[in-house]
Amino acid sequence: MINLTIDNRQIEAQEGTSVWQAAKSAGIDIPVMCYMEETGHIASCMVCLVKNTKNGQLFASCSTPVSEGQIIVTNDEEVTESRKTALELLLSEHVGDCEAPCQSVCPAHMNIPLMNRLIAKGDFAKSLEVVKRDIALPSILGLICPAPCEAACRRKQVDDAVSICTLKRFVGDEDLNSVQPYRPKISDPSGKTVAIIGSGPAGLAAAYYLQIKGHQAILFEQADRPGGTLLQIDKEILPDDTIKLEIDEILSLGVQIHVNETIDKERFANFLKEFDAIVVATGTPSTDGIPYGLATNNVGIVADKFSYQTSIRHVFAVGNALRTSKMAVRSVGQGKEVAAVIDRYLNSGEMKGYPARFNSKFGKLMTEEFIHYLKDSETFPRQSAGKEGFTIDSAMMEARRCMHCDCRKPESCLLREYSNHYLADQKRFKGEERKTVEKLIHREGIVYEPSKCIKCGICVQLTSNHREEFGLTFIGRGFEVKIGVPFNEKIEQGLKNTSLDVAKACPTGALAMFNEEQQLNL
Amino acid sequence: MNEQIAIYQEVDRIIEQKGRSKGSVIPILQAIQQKFNYLPEDALRYVCRKTDITNDQIIGVASFYSQFRMHPVGEHIIKVCVGTACHVKGADHVHDAIRRHFKLTAEEETDASRKYTIERVACLGCCTLAPVVQIDEITYGHVSSDKIENMLEDFEMHAGSSKSEKGIFRSMKGDHIQGEIRIGLGSCCVASGSEEVKKAVEETVENSGIRVSLKNVGCVGMCHQVPLVEVIPHNQSPILYAKVKPEDIQGIIATHFKPPGYFNKLKNNIYRFFENVQTSSVWEGVKQYSIDAREKQVTDFLDQQIPIATRYRGIINPLDLNEYKAHQGFEALKIALADLSGEQIIQHIKESGLRGRGGAGFPTGIKWKIAAEQKTEVKYLICNGDEGDPGAFMDRMLLESYPYRVIEGMLIAAKAVNATHGYFYIRAEYPLAVKRIRQALIYCRENNLIGEDILGSGFSFEIDIYEGAGAFVCGEESALIASIEGERGFPRIRPPYPAEKGLWGMPTLINNTETFAQVSYIILEGSEKFSSIGSATSKGSKVFALAGKINRGGLIEVPMGITVRQIVEDIGGGVQNGKKFKAVQIGGPSGGCVPMQLYDTPIDYESLLKVGAMMGSGGLVVMDEDDCMVDIAHYFLSFTQHESCGKCTFCRVGTKKMLDILTKFTVGKGTLKDLDELEYLAGWTKKGSLCGLGKSAPNPILSTLRYFREEYLAHIDGKCPSGKCTGLIRYEINDLCIGCTLCAQKCPTEAILFKPHHKHEVIHDLCIKCDACRTVCPVDAVEIH
Repeated sequence: MINLTIDNRQIEAQEGTSVWQAAKSAGIDIPVMCYMEETGHIASCMVCLVKNTKNGQLFASCSTPVSEGQIIVTNDEEVTESRKTALELLLSEHVGDCEAPCQSVCPAHMNIPLMNRLIAKGDFAKSLEVVKRDIALPSILGLICPAPCEAACRRKQVDDAVSICTLKRFVGDEDLNSVQPYRPKISDPSGKTVAIIGSGPAGLAAAYYLQIKGHQAILFEQADRPGGTLLQIDKEILPDDTIKLEIDEILSLGVQIHVNETIDKERFANFLKEFDAIVVATGTPSTDGIPYGLATNNVGIVADKFSYQTSIRHVFAVGNALRTSKMAVRSVGQGKEVAAVIDRYLNSGEMKGYPARFNSKFGKLMTEEFIHYLKDSETFPRQSAGKEGFTIDSAMMEARRCMHCDCRKPESCLLREYSNHYLADQKRFKGEERKTVEKLIHREGIVYEPSKCIKCGICVQLTSNHREEFGLTFIGRGFEVKIGVPFNEKIEQGLKNTSLDVAKACPTGALAMFNEEQQLNL
Repeated sequence: MNEQIAIYQEVDRIIEQKGRSKGSVIPILQAIQQKFNYLPEDALRYVCRKTDITNDQIIGVASFYSQFRMHPVGEHIIKVCVGTACHVKGADHVHDAIRRHFKLTAEEETDASRKYTIERVACLGCCTLAPVVQIDEITYGHVSSDKIENMLEDFEMHAGSSKSEKGIFRSMKGDHIQGEIRIGLGSCCVASGSEEVKKAVEETVENSGIRVSLKNVGCVGMCHQVPLVEVIPHNQSPILYAKVKPEDIQGIIATHFKPPGYFNKLKNNIYRFFENVQTSSVWEGVKQYSIDAREKQVTDFLDQQIPIATRYRGIINPLDLNEYKAHQGFEALKIALADLSGEQIIQHIKESGLRGRGGAGFPTGIKWKIAAEQKTEVKYLICNGDEGDPGAFMDRMLLESYPYRVIEGMLIAAKAVNATHGYFYIRAEYPLAVKRIRQALIYCRENNLIGEDILGSGFSFEIDIYEGAGAFVCGEESALIASIEGERGFPRIRPPYPAEKGLWGMPTLINNTETFAQVSYIILEGSEKFSSIGSATSKGSKVFALAGKINRGGLIEVPMGITVRQIVEDIGGGVQNGKKFKAVQIGGPSGGCVPMQLYDTPIDYESLLKVGAMMGSGGLVVMDEDDCMVDIAHYFLSFTQHESCGKCTFCRVGTKKMLDILTKFTVGKGTLKDLDELEYLAGWTKKGSLCGLGKSAPNPILSTLRYFREEYLAHIDGKCPSGKCTGLIRYEINDLCIGCTLCAQKCPTEAILFKPHHKHEVIHDLCIKCDACRTVCPVDAVEIH
């Protein structure tokens, strides 16, 4: 047995064990991307660097055996920086999106490609579930949203954007018109109550998600019915029926509402004592009375950008109360986010902003890349929708126009996970030119996107271990090195019996299963 | 179809020769390329069907090593050396001029007639002849961009003629030898025309009937004077002739030897003689002059040197085993085999203080001890001759000129550590070294110096040659091992060190060529004598390749601890053309610069590290005021970036990002923020890379930033103080112009507006900054702004 010290802890390990393994056995996690038990030590990604305090040198823990008397540090500032730098270098040549551009520009951050795939499959119920994770009012927004998502849609570069907004309306309407509309699973009651002042898009969304989390949401509306600014929209565009139906769905979860209630300063002061949290969603502040003594600036109430917390600890502000916007989707998105922040706060007392997750982006497609993105979609033109929206057929056809710019491993990609953890900045070492993207599709449901590859070598080792006739190999060297099938054979030739293995083993989204929807059951 | 069958037959034959194991892949690929000029896909697929080599392995390997080509090339390959010495002497201009000559577009490498393919190569190891171009087997030195046509014309003349290796010189009959003529046959000498000179001597002697023995000697080190011919008339002191041309031979011979009827005979043969060997009227060489060994510059060059690895230089014929023996050759081996135990040998090496000459300076004795302690049946020993540093050619010279000394060192090491099998790993760009070693091994085998029961001692040891395939990283020992095993040259994590677990998983002792070359001296002369030379921590002597802007370049062997100034000023005769010394680059792409203010830095491992340089393998490239340090950093980074194996993140991406930033500087687009990022990346690439290549790749940047930061800042301001970075300069013609139109005639892009006898003018939009006008101007009227 070998005795060593890792992060001030005495550890015993079998001779020949790697430092990484020894640390892991002791419950110290060191990130690593290129190591798998089956493939053995490769030592290429270099995110597992740790420090040998005796000489101050950093070394790859995944492949270095333990030695007697070693004193190792796995988490000081220098080690952390080395990991961040390694990740940033990898990201500088990582051309791929974690999330599709439509989703990243959507103020509510709706998972659009997933919605589209489910519509294309005819699974409208699942599709609605996905939509409702982020958007509490899909039918309403389907009618009024200016659809920034469509402006960002890559399909627009080829012909016309996918009709995302109308598709969302379609799934919303399908649900509202069904016999049994969707009921999200509601957590056990927490015993906490949250007052939400204002029942416009922001307040409604906050109420919806708080209620789902088991907190009693109580809406206070000064008008005689809920809806806020939604009610001011031309009825031709947004009929009252739609508003009522969709709001009733929210209220049916147990959300309470008090209409014709104006909350003045005194009542607010009582609220502070009565409620566990208060959400101010009163819309654009009027010149009199309202922001209840909360700190303001020239556009509205001052609140933290990520947590929406105001100058009073358990008072939050969302929607036009912060800044006037014509986009209801922004308010709806903020409603969702503040609910998540309050949920955490009520459960743990911890006040933390809504997590901004790491998101790799590469921007516009180049013309020569269209064909790769079109491999995964139908080429027919944008379908037109009538006054009643899409028919089932036209919705499914339109959904199939989506090019699925999102990554197929958004949840399991280690590059994303570590980049998120170490706050890596993808742009730090960005060059002037980027690699072109390619998508190679294996008929067994695997996609290979070389531009997402970190050249860790796991797939090369795996195909070799499994004695593939062609397998995958390193082609070229240095910065230009690529992983490919020898002799430019098709990907099916390279991966005759290991396609699923390599897709699972790949630490990034470079090799991924095509039909696995990691985000479906989050 | 027939073509395919022909390929299969050929491949079958090759497999028969090279074997079917995975480890045979590189030799097989080399043989296929030798045969077909590239690697036909059919051939590679066929190899995988017939051997243990797999598809992924063969493509992985073929695409890794720069020697291999996947596409057919022209009939002749023009290799433009872009090593450090060539770079500072304008290799890029030469490269561009050849491309222009063949009217190649940016993507093309082969000319329209498919006769010539042009390639850039890292270093041909002929640094003293920079810039150097090699066409097939013929090497041209001192090439300039306006001499391209002459060079090609000369090559065309040669290409048809048979290049028979066998000299026509016959052995002497009779006992009256009038003297000896020695001709240097190192690569530098050959490149500068010593083969032609040798032929001229042979013919002249044959036609005159003079009785002299003609002798080929290895590199003398005075590469700045090549070709060298030394004449030793019987019982007289030797006379050294430098920069000799074939047409000088008759005069030289006539001066020293008086044959009967010499002139009559010569007259009859003189026309034939010129027809056969005269080439230099086309290929205009450099001025020739004779020097006497007693002359000051020769003594200056030689006197401060201590030949250990290069002992008896200029005296022994590289391949003459008897002569090597006559000069104490294999005496050390005999002692080691008969009188010393393995431990005693190791003790001697330890006491001598010898440290690895490959660059890192690990104590050789300790390395041997670790290898000796491994108790296995099979143990390997490798001589690392994969000298990849651009600007270094010590290993090449030692292998070419002292093959037996290196072999002897290996044998002694083998006995010390009890190794069973040895390999020479020699880089692909050194065909002459491979040839000599191959021949030397044959002679050794014939004389029971290798093989079973060596010299009756009971000790057996076999040595094979393994040719590298063009990858700088394979100089790193774990990558070298991967390469012999038939893999991509990916370095592996150490520990375990090769001495414990190396080739095929067996203990393997790897030493640099020069390290082995010093072993016999230590055994023979004693460790004390060796350790009395050198500085406190670095003992013995070190061979350096001295090149660049220096008067007397060449191969030198000097005591450790000698100062940079002594080398440059005393041995090298100072900077060329009266220019100002700026810095000397030591250690190539892993090393750094020693600037003027540190001129008196002693050369040993520790002192060099302290000033931010590195011993490296021993390239010393002198730079003058015309050299831009940003350009030099850019040059080295483009080398390491190109040579990065691509395995670990820091080196693969880090070197590329640093190079991108440096490129921005050279075109005047760098910013202060870029400078910070450059330093940041340099720091992290050094700290985070897996192997020595990556860890040392930032050194040229760090070192130039340390001593020449102001040059970086000037580039940020859009100025290149040395006028080197083409993105930041423009050419102008001043009032000295005499209107001779020479520049306009040379200009490849018609960028010079001229009227005879009037001052010319540069049209900046057309100018490609090829420097041709400035080179040709007779009155220094072309200026760089």
